[in-house]
Amino acid sequence: MLTITVNGQKRQVSSPEGTPLLYVLRNELDVNSPQFGCGMAQCGSCSILLDGKEVRSCITPAVMASGKEITTIEGLPDRWAKQKHLSPAQAANTLHPVQEAWIEQQTPLCGICQSGMMIKATELLESNPNPSVEQIKDVFTNSAPSPHLCRCGSYIAIIDAVRFASTLMAKGGAQ
Amino acid sequence: MIEVIEALSDVTAPLPIAETNTNIYGAQLTRRGFLKTGGTLVVGFSLVRSGVANAEAPADTPIRAFDAALVGSWIEIRPDNTVSFRTGKSDFGQGTVYTAYRQIVAEELDISFESITTVFTADTDTTPEGGGTFDLLGRGTPNIRKAAAYARQALMQLASEKLGVPKEQLTVENGVVSVTVENGIVPNAGKSIKYGDLVKGQNLKLTIPVVGELTSIFGLNVTGNPPMKPVSSYKVVGKSFKNSIIPTKVTGKELWVTNVKLPGMLHARVIHPATLGSTLISAGKVDKQKYPNAQVVVKGNLVAVVSPSEWEAIEVASQVAEQTKWSEWKSLPPQAKLYDHLRNESDWKSATVSKGRKNIGDTAAALQSAAKTLTATYAMPYLKHAPIGPTMALADYRPDGTVTVHGHTQNAQALRGQIAMMLGTTVDKVVIKTYPGAGHYGRSNGGNAGAEDEAVILSKELGKPVRVQWMRNDDMQWSTQSPAAYADVKIGLDANNRISSYQIEHYMPAGQDDRLIGAVLAGLPTMPAPSEKGGILNNTANGPSDPWMYDAVPNLTELCYGTYQVGQKASPLAIGLRDHTMRTPGQFQQNYPREIAINDAAALAESDPIQFRLDHAKDQRMMNTLRRLREEHGWESRPSPSPKAAASGSAPIRGQGVSVMLRSNTYWACACQIAVTPDTGAIKVERMTIVSDPGIVINPEQLKRQVEGGAVMGVSIALHEEVAFNESGVTSENWYSYPILTMNEIPDIKVVLIHNPEAGIYGQGSEAPNALASPAIAAAIFDATGKHVRKLPFRPEYVKQMLKI
Repeated sequence: MLTITVNGQKRQVSSPEGTPLLYVLRNELDVNSPQFGCGMAQCGSCSILLDGKEVRSCITPAVMASGKEITTIEGLPDRWAKQKHLSPAQAANTLHPVQEAWIEQQTPLCGICQSGMMIKATELLESNPNPSVEQIKDVFTNSAPSPHLCRCGSYIAIIDAVRFASTLMAKGGAQ
Repeated sequence: MIEVIEALSDVTAPLPIAETNTNIYGAQLTRRGFLKTGGTLVVGFSLVRSGVANAEAPADTPIRAFDAALVGSWIEIRPDNTVSFRTGKSDFGQGTVYTAYRQIVAEELDISFESITTVFTADTDTTPEGGGTFDLLGRGTPNIRKAAAYARQALMQLASEKLGVPKEQLTVENGVVSVTVENGIVPNAGKSIKYGDLVKGQNLKLTIPVVGELTSIFGLNVTGNPPMKPVSSYKVVGKSFKNSIIPTKVTGKELWVTNVKLPGMLHARVIHPATLGSTLISAGKVDKQKYPNAQVVVKGNLVAVVSPSEWEAIEVASQVAEQTKWSEWKSLPPQAKLYDHLRNESDWKSATVSKGRKNIGDTAAALQSAAKTLTATYAMPYLKHAPIGPTMALADYRPDGTVTVHGHTQNAQALRGQIAMMLGTTVDKVVIKTYPGAGHYGRSNGGNAGAEDEAVILSKELGKPVRVQWMRNDDMQWSTQSPAAYADVKIGLDANNRISSYQIEHYMPAGQDDRLIGAVLAGLPTMPAPSEKGGILNNTANGPSDPWMYDAVPNLTELCYGTYQVGQKASPLAIGLRDHTMRTPGQFQQNYPREIAINDAAALAESDPIQFRLDHAKDQRMMNTLRRLREEHGWESRPSPSPKAAASGSAPIRGQGVSVMLRSNTYWACACQIAVTPDTGAIKVERMTIVSDPGIVINPEQLKRQVEGGAVMGVSIALHEEVAFNESGVTSENWYSYPILTMNEIPDIKVVLIHNPEAGIYGQGSEAPNALASPAIAAAIFDATGKHVRKLPFRPEYVKQMLKI
């Protein structure tokens, strides 16, 4: 049996260790935000953070996460609270700036790709707190293993939201 | 799907007491005495919160439909002054039902946006109207607006009686009815009462007139003419309220259709036939030693693998697929010969030929005497709707013959009718629950998106809830697609370089095939394949879909020819390349050739393409939209091609192009600036301006986001999209073989919304930008190079080839 830390909680996994994380998260651990889009790492709708790095859960075997830490968008508020050393009372009412920005900029259209988009944005902003529009486009297009795809065409809204999240983070979060 | 913005309040059952009736502008207000507690404008049902993850057993959910003739099926006003409304439309990311519809209801009732605390959408057992989720605003008066207008009049009647003054002396603000004192002293001057107090303790029912058929694509429509609020006094419409469903979508709390689970549910993967015309020879077997819990299900040509474990279902399906044998079939035309096939080997005679609504004069004679002529053919490939999440559905068939489908559809009531037809039962046995999911862009507006009927068939076979998830390749290869089309154009210019004759012939196979593919494969009943004898939705005729915009042209002939779907007649299962409406259906296929042809004619006339359009137009809204575009884009007024045009070299060359469209009461104009590198054929769309006059702009921020999204899809269609196929079927199977636009490729997009309240109508916001890009980009390529591109998509190989001509 594997042990994986998911959004700050240690979880035991009984699925066979070759099972892709997407199915372990959704069907065994009831963490439902990563979405099945292609099953072949071509679209990014299943993205999660594995020790802070964006990976495609649809092709990543569960065993690869053994002893590691997974963050999905359910865990973004806690991730931010920890990074900012917020008290539990403050943390309870706090969203991650990426989430605040996605709401403020009214980014999702259908929204099925946006969990993966927010994971990619979080990864980017943790390494580059103030990315330019060109850097945002580059990261969402040219990072391995594939571009992050949105069929509704929300790319402009995503760029707006990443820029807005950057501003929020610089201010220490939404006020 | 129920979007509870705040908690629901309880509704108490009525006590039986004698009733009284009052006529309210053709609606009937029925009063049945008083209640001890609660009360609403309409009572008679309690509300069950359903659809939570690990949903409660559907046996607890009563199978029923709301009576659309009751306004309470649409709107409920509660004693605590909160309001809920119901719509048969679903949300696919337009946000309309959570923003524009709420604004419209709030406006008609004169209540705050926030006091609408619950919105019920689409589920067949909780919403009244049915109808496809398209054109949500375009027909001017959404059902929900009229229902609200009736409800308001009923409330005014009640207030008039309560306050003892005629209705004319009442005003409403924020749900509070007050007696006005403008005309001197009246009884109860200055008194007021809240809506909530008007319904408190009352047992009220308002019956409103509706017409239509619940499970048809258009559903039910509210009729009659209740007085509606004048646009000049709008307060809620026009403001950028946020979409209430976004917070749950970005925090992982949304109950997506993909997240719905039922106890004991099995995961299924369908092994679709090897070709679009194959029949099953033998199904593969499960390695039971290795996978004791998995099993193969075969019904006719429908083959599936089920397992309690999703990953096991995927692994086993892949093994079983390899062993499953299908008959061979190679009767599609090769892709390279698609347009030859359409032109020379298709039957364009059996279906009725449709004529344009504005045909006038004698184009043939005018062409004879033209000073200059242009003859051209424009062609568009098959396109995929290509939702990011492949279709899926969870069905629960019960021993009592009822079935609940948990799905994601643009037309739940139509799907309900289709499933009932497949099962040979009545619609009261079928409930469709809908949840948020991937955008469908029209694919499910007739009911199904692909997986629903397969889930029902498998659940019935196995006696357990079954969740069917199509894999990426299933969704690319077994879903419907937007039909390919071509158009032949002949234009004559007179001695003054004005169009004297315009003739266009549109050729497109049947554009809407809503047959249930699982039913077709399993040999179960479903609607007939498209034919010349079909009804409005499955007829092979091609209708005029793109309103003519150039009313100064004296001689006009528009003809539309339709035929069977490619491969349909040759497939033993009548499958072939199944088509379906996709954003701006039919209109895209007609607007694209027309708008490039107008650009080509402007070039022939050596005129600026915007001025050329203005010179041939009479419609003031269109002309204003074009003039605004010229200013906002920084358009260079001059003929194409550009003085700097070149068809060779390694340096990027810039060009500009324009297109217009009228769709559902909204006027659109688009200009783009592109850079083309002749040596590589690469196109970069650098900048795009879209001007839209939808009449009344209901929610500027939401509309802007929709327009941006459509524009991005439009660029994607122009530069990349084309369904690949061979003689057996679709070979586009994933995002590498069906590429769509990536973030790096988006242009800077400027959206200009013209708020035009004088139009007095809500135009449809979100459709058209997807269609505007292609003709504008084609024109810009000509502007940059002096060479014509007329066949979509404008991929580098094609552009390079055209530049050498």
